[in-house]
Amino acid sequence: MASPKVTSMTVERLIEETRTVYSLPLFYARLNDAINHPRTSISDITRIINEDQGLSACILKLANSPMFGYYSKVDSILKSVTIIGTQQLRDLALASSVIKVFRGIPKELLSMEQFWKHSISCGIIARCLATYLREGNVERYFVTGILHDVGQLVMCAAMPDAMTLTITSSKDNRQLYHLTERQLLGFDHAEVGSSLFQAWKIPASVYEPVACHHLPGNAKLFPLEAAVIHLSDLICQGLEFGANAEWCVSSLDESAWQRLGLPTGILETIVKLAEPQIAETCAILTEEI
Amino acid sequence: MGMIPLDALEVGMVLASDVQDRNGRLLLGGGAELTGKHLMIFRTWGVIEVNIAGAEDLGYDAKMPSDVSLEDLAEARKSLDGLFMHAGLEYSFVQELLRLAAIRKVNHGVS
Repeated sequence: MASPKVTSMTVERLIEETRTVYSLPLFYARLNDAINHPRTSISDITRIINEDQGLSACILKLANSPMFGYYSKVDSILKSVTIIGTQQLRDLALASSVIKVFRGIPKELLSMEQFWKHSISCGIIARCLATYLREGNVERYFVTGILHDVGQLVMCAAMPDAMTLTITSSKDNRQLYHLTERQLLGFDHAEVGSSLFQAWKIPASVYEPVACHHLPGNAKLFPLEAAVIHLSDLICQGLEFGANAEWCVSSLDESAWQRLGLPTGILETIVKLAEPQIAETCAILTEEI
Repeated sequence: MGMIPLDALEVGMVLASDVQDRNGRLLLGGGAELTGKHLMIFRTWGVIEVNIAGAEDLGYDAKMPSDVSLEDLAEARKSLDGLFMHAGLEYSFVQELLRLAAIRKVNHGVS
């Protein structure tokens, strides 16, 4: 069914416009450079994080939240760097920076509270799944889960009219939202989000799973990450942890679940593990929104 | 014989087959009677479910939590029809997700 496009917008133009308004804080680039530099010490990284008071407060709260579940109190950034790890800390910093970048989005189209609840829940579920898979850096899954639908925010800010039309059409025709996007606009929010992250020089381990979160079979570099994010997204939609423009549960790619090699019985355990973490993590990460 | 999730295991149940951790290492041999320590070790090593002898006779039904009535569950399931219409109900992953969503709906009273 070929219908006329409702907008002449292309992904390239959308990203170009968005980049001039929203940019990652310079701070993230500095932290990233420092972490990648072989001669950086833990105290150098601590110093950089300490310069951003909002971020250091956020990291301390996260380190003390049930998500990490340490016995003793983590009371300094130095301690949190050594316990959480530098790579992991960079991922947490990225998640919290991006949430802050999109603070000023108009709330008429999407409820920001519900949007971030869905995204953060997805991150937590992805992190739990990764823990069961015995994956090394589970924070990478957490941040990718949080960021997977950011494309919707970009579209919300840059093309609210076209987006309203797409949301309405998707609900009226009882068609999946991302498919309606493809039909009416010629691209979808997964592509938009991923393109923005590429423009921001965020690594492929994040932008590829974001691009493929509806079609994890397309992921060439990080198929496992894409599969985990795809499944976590479905779980959050099904259990109605938060909400965004996607009004129903996306279609499952069965091979994604096969790839994980876990029994379905684990879903209940994962949800039991994740649900108590959601409220507190949302409160910490979205405090100022 | 039947797979029972970790949370539903009780001391005194008898294993119908070996229990292995996620890497295939043997934790406890078939025929052993579970003790509290075993349960803790299963949890530590990430065991998800184990095969218990006579699970059917124990009256355990993995699909039905005891505090939810069949009627409520059926009703909750029905109300989720729209939400799950594109999900792919022919797959066991989606069926399990729908079951959890329905139970959650009954317990939380969300309509």
